Amino acid sequence: MNPTLKFVLAVLIALEISFTSSWTVNVILAVIGLVIILAARPGWKRLLSLIFWPLIPAVALAVAILMQSRSTGNTQFAIVLFTRIYAYVFIGSAATLTTPIYELVMSLEQNAHVPTKFAYGFLGGFNLMPKIVTEVKTIRVAALMRGETLHFWSPQLYFKAIIAALRWSENLAEAMTSHGFVEDAPRTHRVTVRIRSRDWIIAIGSLILLQGLLFGLHLA
Amino acid sequence: MAFVKLSDLTIQYQSYDSKVAWPPTIDHLSATFESGTLTLLTGPSGSGKSTLLKTIAGLYPKFGEASVSGSVTIETSSTQPRVAMMFQDPNQQFAMDTVERELRFALENLQVEADKIDDQVQAALDYVGISNLRHRQLNNLSGGEKQKVALAIIVAMDSEVILLDEPFASIDPAARQTLLIKLRQLNQEAHKTVIIADHDLLNYEPYVDGLVRLSDDGHQLRFFDRDAAHDVFEAFKNSAQLDISVTLPQPNEPTAVTLNQTSLIAGDRTLLKPTSFTFPEHRVILLTGINGSGKSTLLRAITNLSNYIGDITVAGVSTSRFHKNQRYQQVGLVFQEADDQFLNVTVAEELALSLKHSRHPEYFQARLDDDLNNLGLADLREHVVYSLSGGQKKKLQILIMLIMATPILLLDEPFTGLDLQSLNTVVALVKDVQQAFKLTLIMISHQLQGLAPLIDYHAVLANQTLTYVEAIR
Amino acid sequence: MSKTNAWHLRDIILLTLIAIFFGVIYWVIGPLYNLLTVALTPVGLGPAANDILMGVWVMAGPLAGYVFRKVGAATLGEFLGAVVEMFFGGQWGASTMISGVVQGLGSELGFALTGYKRYDWTSLGLSVVTTTIVTFGWDLFRNGYAAYHIGLLVALFVIRLASTFIFAGVLTRAITNLLDRTHLLSRRSA
Repeated sequence: MNPTLKFVLAVLIALEISFTSSWTVNVILAVIGLVIILAARPGWKRLLSLIFWPLIPAVALAVAILMQSRSTGNTQFAIVLFTRIYAYVFIGSAATLTTPIYELVMSLEQNAHVPTKFAYGFLGGFNLMPKIVTEVKTIRVAALMRGETLHFWSPQLYFKAIIAALRWSENLAEAMTSHGFVEDAPRTHRVTVRIRSRDWIIAIGSLILLQGLLFGLHLA
Repeated sequence: MAFVKLSDLTIQYQSYDSKVAWPPTIDHLSATFESGTLTLLTGPSGSGKSTLLKTIAGLYPKFGEASVSGSVTIETSSTQPRVAMMFQDPNQQFAMDTVERELRFALENLQVEADKIDDQVQAALDYVGISNLRHRQLNNLSGGEKQKVALAIIVAMDSEVILLDEPFASIDPAARQTLLIKLRQLNQEAHKTVIIADHDLLNYEPYVDGLVRLSDDGHQLRFFDRDAAHDVFEAFKNSAQLDISVTLPQPNEPTAVTLNQTSLIAGDRTLLKPTSFTFPEHRVILLTGINGSGKSTLLRAITNLSNYIGDITVAGVSTSRFHKNQRYQQVGLVFQEADDQFLNVTVAEELALSLKHSRHPEYFQARLDDDLNNLGLADLREHVVYSLSGGQKKKLQILIMLIMATPILLLDEPFTGLDLQSLNTVVALVKDVQQAFKLTLIMISHQLQGLAPLIDYHAVLANQTLTYVEAIR
Repeated sequence: MSKTNAWHLRDIILLTLIAIFFGVIYWVIGPLYNLLTVALTPVGLGPAANDILMGVWVMAGPLAGYVFRKVGAATLGEFLGAVVEMFFGGQWGASTMISGVVQGLGSELGFALTGYKRYDWTSLGLSVVTTTIVTFGWDLFRNGYAAYHIGLLVALFVIRLASTFIFAGVLTRAITNLLDRTHLLSRRSA
């Protein structure tokens, strides 16, 4: 499916279930998400962590409703909140696990007409991720070597990271410019990303189906 | 065919402090680089070589916070002259994740028709001889491979002028030679005008048409023809030779750092095969090896900044058993990149922090004013560390780590960008502190001149193994 | 940094790098959130963990607003942070992107109310308040806060306000003070 439509669809679904309270719809969405995830064949570790970690906020929200609600016997709403978290996570992961960030950015450039400077600036920055992980480690070790421990509430940690980011952004922007990139200039595309009619049908069909389900279950 | 003409060019960086204007880096410079030549641009570190190249490439004043006056003219037969640039740090010049995508990205930017892109990509990769890298992830390539990819992009873009900013600083000699041969080929067969900036002049002579030296004040470019250049190359070769010898460690010396079947792997390359090796206590050990052999990775492994396989024991404790905070009370690292060392804003704050946690604050407090004077940092106390010159940063960086007086101190290229006088001052300071507190120093340095009085032992990392040798050259 | 609202390649890369950096920080404190939640759940206060740490989640917004001084910087900073977090495989899935926009708009509002003219405690303070209100409004729906009894609601709101004040206010101010003293930002031209 076209990456842009896929992500728009995922966000619209997440938005809609945030404001509706049907646990059956949540379960149906979570199951669909899970099927897509399984089809992408993630590793066991990834799959287990996808199932396990959301359990914590899901249980927390459900228990809180059971214990802290204004009205008693709100089991129904507790189940809604619990299933909602899984719908969010599985729908979201169904989108991220099946879309490399590169393809999403290409689609945003060509289909959503996001300005190229945003598309490639983001992609260039994103590809520096391993360096950033190393940098965070380096900053903390540099501090330890001077007898200081940095925590997530230490301003120096963020300050040093921004100093490094300033330098890298300058270097990368220069490199991209020397590789011919010009802001707002037209570019050709070796690979054309299209939105096929099938993509529209899936996206719009899914949304109609979702409304039908929500409405139908509401009547029932 | 294209020549590069500089007319009355002045480049001045904007100061951090609006009250103080910085002197121009390039000062009313006029010169011409002849069409179809391969020129080596040299000059001391910090003389503005990089600044000059980036201005010729059209990157400044768009980037770099510099103001530029005068003009750069590139005369060429084509209507849109292309100037390409290869950067010093191979890790920060790609926007994409794979080799193929980066090449496509560049060609798409030039609006090459979609159905011609892949052929041009293949042709460029073939030219540089790296077709096998086409589908590789850039992050997994070695420094040398990355620079070859950078060259392939320049070839694909068919730039008339090719500028290289210290491109071989972190790559192995074999890759360097391949790149130089290809550059010479581009220059002679395709008549590209090539300018390479480098302060290290070794092994350039067979490849270049001429040598140009940028003066300290950025005002003059002095051109040397082949004969005159020959003398400069020879003089450099002689100055770079040290030819002294040291003894080998005794087998029963107490050790500071021990590698137990330790191996180092970067991406898919083995840098160090499972090795057992000891660094003796209270000694100064020079660690050398060709670029890209893994020297920095070894120091980072000892400080747990890089992953390793096997075991490393520091001060008698396996690093995996150390509580994190305690480990760094035993071992410190002078980073290759000076900015990584600093935590605060001003020079005075950096000094204060080190004195606060130093093992011997009284000793350093007593000599601090003298040290700062000797290092030329005395008047810079209230300056922002990020506004210091490269050499000043290095000096401050070494000083603040010496003040900590950590028993084991690792130094990764601590002398980069220091002139001879500063170098001697720094070496004397390091030696003083090392002897006062019997520190163990493990030091990587390209720069060997002036180090003789400091070094006890010499370890070489080559062919994925570590050995002690007697000779230093 | 700049007097114009135009975004350039370099700014966008910088913003992305800052967003990724926050992604890494979220990763680092993820276990803390989980521990807090697990500890508070038996008394039915699990969601409070979210409020206690809210300030950390929303820091990227005011920081980006301050660093770039452009319309949309806070929103874009938070949103990119959320996208990165989602690709990392965060615990909140697709709703992360919505939360990112909501949090970003929350902190953006603070800067907007001063007409993007003030970058001091006034705008930062306003931003703290607007962020708290807007994100709380969103959690009334997303996390079902609307069903809680009023006492708990007030308590959660106060906790969230305090957290946002400490991280998105005090800590952000400390970071920007350090940055200001280096003059690195003011030197960067548009």
